[in-house]
Amino acid sequence: MASSQHVLLSPAELAYLHASLSLAPPIRLDGRSPTQFRPLVAETGILPGTNGSARICFADGTEAIVGVKAEVERTAQRPGEDTVFFEEGGVGTDDADEEGETRDGVDKRKGDASWVEMTVEIPGLRDDDSGTAFLSAMLSEALLADGEFAKRLWINRRFHWKLYLDIILISPPLSYPLPLLSLTSHLALLSTRLPRLKSEGDEDPFFDDDWAAAPHLYPRTAATTTRPPITLLVMAVGNNIIFDPSKEELTVADVALAVSVTSATSPSTLSKPHTTDAEAAAAAETDPESGRNLRLLSIRTIDPPSRLTPPGVANAVNAAYGAAGTQKATLEAQTAAETEAVEGVWKAPRGGAKRAVLGALVQKVLERGGVVDEVLDALEAVELG
Amino acid sequence: MPITILPPKPSRPINNNRPSEDDIYNASDSDSDAGTGGGGATIDPDGDHAMLPPSTKRPTTTRTTAATSSIVTPGEQITDDPQWMRGHGTYIPSTATGRAAAGAIVSSVAGTVARTNKLLSVRPLRARYTPEVGDLVVGRIVEVQAKRWRVDVGSTQLAALPLSAINLPGGILRKRTETDELQIRSFFAEGDLLVAEVQQLFGDGGAVLHTRSLKYGKLRNGTPEAEAGAAGITNMEESVSTTMYSSQNDRIEVETMREIARLRGVVTALVENGLRVDEDMVVRGYHEAVEMAMVSVEGSDDTYLGGEKGQQLAAALTGV
Repeated sequence: MASSQHVLLSPAELAYLHASLSLAPPIRLDGRSPTQFRPLVAETGILPGTNGSARICFADGTEAIVGVKAEVERTAQRPGEDTVFFEEGGVGTDDADEEGETRDGVDKRKGDASWVEMTVEIPGLRDDDSGTAFLSAMLSEALLADGEFAKRLWINRRFHWKLYLDIILISPPLSYPLPLLSLTSHLALLSTRLPRLKSEGDEDPFFDDDWAAAPHLYPRTAATTTRPPITLLVMAVGNNIIFDPSKEELTVADVALAVSVTSATSPSTLSKPHTTDAEAAAAAETDPESGRNLRLLSIRTIDPPSRLTPPGVANAVNAAYGAAGTQKATLEAQTAAETEAVEGVWKAPRGGAKRAVLGALVQKVLERGGVVDEVLDALEAVELG
Repeated sequence: MPITILPPKPSRPINNNRPSEDDIYNASDSDSDAGTGGGGATIDPDGDHAMLPPSTKRPTTTRTTAATSSIVTPGEQITDDPQWMRGHGTYIPSTATGRAAAGAIVSSVAGTVARTNKLLSVRPLRARYTPEVGDLVVGRIVEVQAKRWRVDVGSTQLAALPLSAINLPGGILRKRTETDELQIRSFFAEGDLLVAEVQQLFGDGGAVLHTRSLKYGKLRNGTPEAEAGAAGITNMEESVSTTMYSSQNDRIEVETMREIARLRGVVTALVENGLRVDEDMVVRGYHEAVEMAMVSVEGSDDTYLGGEKGQQLAAALTGV
């Protein structure tokens, strides 16, 4: 889908970048290791008027702010088995329902994708720009893919929380902003608190006005390790897999993927089949002994700008190149330059992504105790303001 | 450690005891060259700028205080004393505004006040490059026109490189022909990085470049920061006489690539920590970075200079 903004680089630079990133181990422009992220500065609870908020900056000045705001909304009633006719003395049946819920342990909560509204704002881009729309779609897709998130917004059968996520990139996008926006939304959701419910059953919701007693949307107890999803940008150059690519690195990517993962509570929830409408959603391998239960939510391919770059001209066929004025061998050289790769000459990648490379990318992301685990740990260590 | 997340730095203490205007602008003329900080462009990595106190706390006189170390903002009055002349970065409004009296000298940029004898000027915190004739510039082609290229050299305007101001292949001195005009993209195309000299200036500050020397031409075999560093500083640049229009990289050893990455890291760290970037600083920074890598746990092959390592480097360079 939609590519990131165009970066103007000369074929010589592209060839150099590609060569240095294809080495084993790759040499990245800023000296990072392949799995290393750019250092972040993060804080939460910066917006007092919201239910949860976070801010993340990169060292280069890129900065994102996310605010989460919740409103109580009446759930649209559809005639069906669980239709509540409150006027007909629903209270009594409610109690029975509550008991029934606890008795057979069935989760009666229901969620709906329309309960979450996400807006992404990127300076210099229109709201309906394809890039912005795609970013917002990717981020909300990660949230809603497994349907578990919307269930958290369920209050009772007649009311639910409507969550507004406002994601704002403050600086101009110096690199593809997806990982930054995703990490910031993750932090904001971690810090989100909803007022404690005092009413019971299906009556009109009534809340505790003590904010200190408000529980977190994602409670942090030892029992639950469920976390909001994160979407990571991963790219491949040759056989190397590179996390959190900078703008220049993305320009020479063979494949770029946006992979959304989440950590789930228990293996039992993983056994349930999850199918999403648009994209592949698959449950990851689980190993209850160590680390988190990472679950793959969605994969999207990002169209890397490398396909739009101009090719370099090999010296053998370069008419303006000093001594290459001789016209003799040019025909063979020209065909060779068109078909074969010449060392040191940039050629935009052609064709689709190799299946093995895609597989390796996803494998690397879902690695137990790997990058995602450490990213989630680091995000959890951020003090909630 | 794939990711480091730091808490934001506490904002810097607010300096309330700024010297009053009388101390600065009525001082004797002998100390003409007051220190203006000269910090250069600074980018605050986490956006915690030291804020000036709110305007309610500021003196209500129209004579604004502007200490040598403080920053003036656009529209802020520097002085209304008629003995001063206005220099770059200032203007004199014809009518009085909310923040300045008529006839006062007002800053037109955000920066530090500089005084040269009786001339008041404001040095912008972040400025674009102002070309001068004879400057060696590194630029990127952004546009190809019929008889010239438009080059981004970091100035306010694009510089022009006419087809007649380059060395055409097949003989250094010859007239440009229509064939040359037709194959203008074979010399330089959009995105190409080149090193050139400023030949001429227009009245509005636009520059005309030339590459009529064997020293100038297309840059390759590296990344812009490192190339610019290498070309200008250590003279590692090879002769470009035959390779002027080549876009093919030579074989580059892994060690060289690593050092290029290190050099780029040094330049980035200097910028991120608000230090001046010049030949001396880059050379010192590079040596410091090599020594840091020698003693680091990751080994001497580690070229990462972001985050805390960059701050260490900056601290070592400034001797703080």
